[in-house]
Amino acid sequence: MFARRFLVSFPIFLVVYVIQETIVSQFRIFGSGFSLFLIFALLWSALGTPELGALTGFGAGLLMDLSQSSSGPVGQWTLIMILAGFSISYLGYGDDNFRGNPISLVVIVALAVPITRFIYLILGLMFGGELGSALHIFTSLIASGLWTVAIVPLLMPLVTRIHSGLFEDMSRG
Amino acid sequence: MRNGGDNRGRLLLISLIVTSLFLITLDLRGVQVLGGIRSGTQTLLSPVQSVASKVFRPVGNFFSDITHLGRTRGEIAKLQAANEKLRQNLINRKNADSELAQLKSVLDLAGTAKYKVVGAKVISLGSTSSFTQTISIDAGTNNGVRQNMTVITGLGLVGVVKISYPDSALVQLTTDPAFRVGARVAGTQQIGILSGQGTNKGVLQLLDNRTTLKVGDVILARGSQNNRPFVPGVPIGEVSKVDNAAGAITQTADVKLYVNFSALSVVAVVIGAPQADPRDALVPKAPVPTPIPTVTIYAKPSESPTP
Repeated sequence: MFARRFLVSFPIFLVVYVIQETIVSQFRIFGSGFSLFLIFALLWSALGTPELGALTGFGAGLLMDLSQSSSGPVGQWTLIMILAGFSISYLGYGDDNFRGNPISLVVIVALAVPITRFIYLILGLMFGGELGSALHIFTSLIASGLWTVAIVPLLMPLVTRIHSGLFEDMSRG
Repeated sequence: MRNGGDNRGRLLLISLIVTSLFLITLDLRGVQVLGGIRSGTQTLLSPVQSVASKVFRPVGNFFSDITHLGRTRGEIAKLQAANEKLRQNLINRKNADSELAQLKSVLDLAGTAKYKVVGAKVISLGSTSSFTQTISIDAGTNNGVRQNMTVITGLGLVGVVKISYPDSALVQLTTDPAFRVGARVAGTQQIGILSGQGTNKGVLQLLDNRTTLKVGDVILARGSQNNRPFVPGVPIGEVSKVDNAAGAITQTADVKLYVNFSALSVVAVVIGAPQADPRDALVPKAPVPTPIPTVTIYAKPSESPTP
């Protein structure tokens, strides 16, 4: 069942990934901009079960690792996204008040994006990466959180509709 | 797990984590398959990126202009006067002109130093999720671009080719925190190492504790063995602040980089270096003040009429 759901979600993630790599990467805006794909993956994970969140994180992380601009080894984003996907879905799992409240989802995804990027940075340091200026990192993390607050409300209606349409139909069928 | 905790879930999580750790291990051990997949993905994406660059770059430039509103207020006031159609035409025209000017200036620089270059357009401005500072260009191994080649614009050093694919290449920018280049102070033999800081300033650390720096000193690339990754003589920036800390072993300084990394659209990859070091030939010329013409009027009193 998980594998089936994962395969059904894959083309959607592929489309968002191509949009991220070809269109969103053209814009250099305040605080290094935003990663539409990361926001989408975390929002999608937040709507599912912890197992599905981990599987979503695995697929999304693998795609992020295949990006030519990914600096770390293949598997670094995969590892972080598995944990991020699992954690974000675990937080709201079984709590319909949480899932049903759009503000909770915006807040949790807006917190998850900079935290995920920060963990990526720390793990990158362990693999011999470089930090750069603290101010740049701080600005970039704060800006990614703010961009997420702006983007998630725009994405949420579409994502929740596709997610519920896809998975409710599958569980009925 | 709060409600759905079962062994299957735990097993799945552990399997996925082990798989990702396995991938990391394979990649760090240099298994070619993973690099090949990444390269294949890029080969598939680069034509789409080229098209997207053409379509969305004017929009990207528009957002970039918004970021620099304070600096371009005068320009914006002029643009507001134009009607919507003219404004769109102007943006398109400005985009083309800017690329042409950048191409001309990079060819001037390459011509002065006798570098053999391949021109390239920037097709992507790097990752927005990681902290690296990279760009993708539309020239790759099919155009003679190889790993560890110097990338320049008319203003100076942009970075170095990190990975080259058949039709595109990934360039590590001078601003990347992991970027290091051997540098020389123009007009002297003082050498040091310049490192990127994630901003448009780099930090230069001199290697000799008997030498000193001053604000305004021009910093050039010192060049590498066999001219890879760096050809000699490329301007990098100028010293904006000197750190004279008493306890420091050698002097360090902030270097304001010449290149505007937020407005890169055309770059050149140096595929052949000159036989002779251009030395200080590429140091940007200081602006010459425009002379203000003065007009001298000699007044001569008219002769008084004779009675």
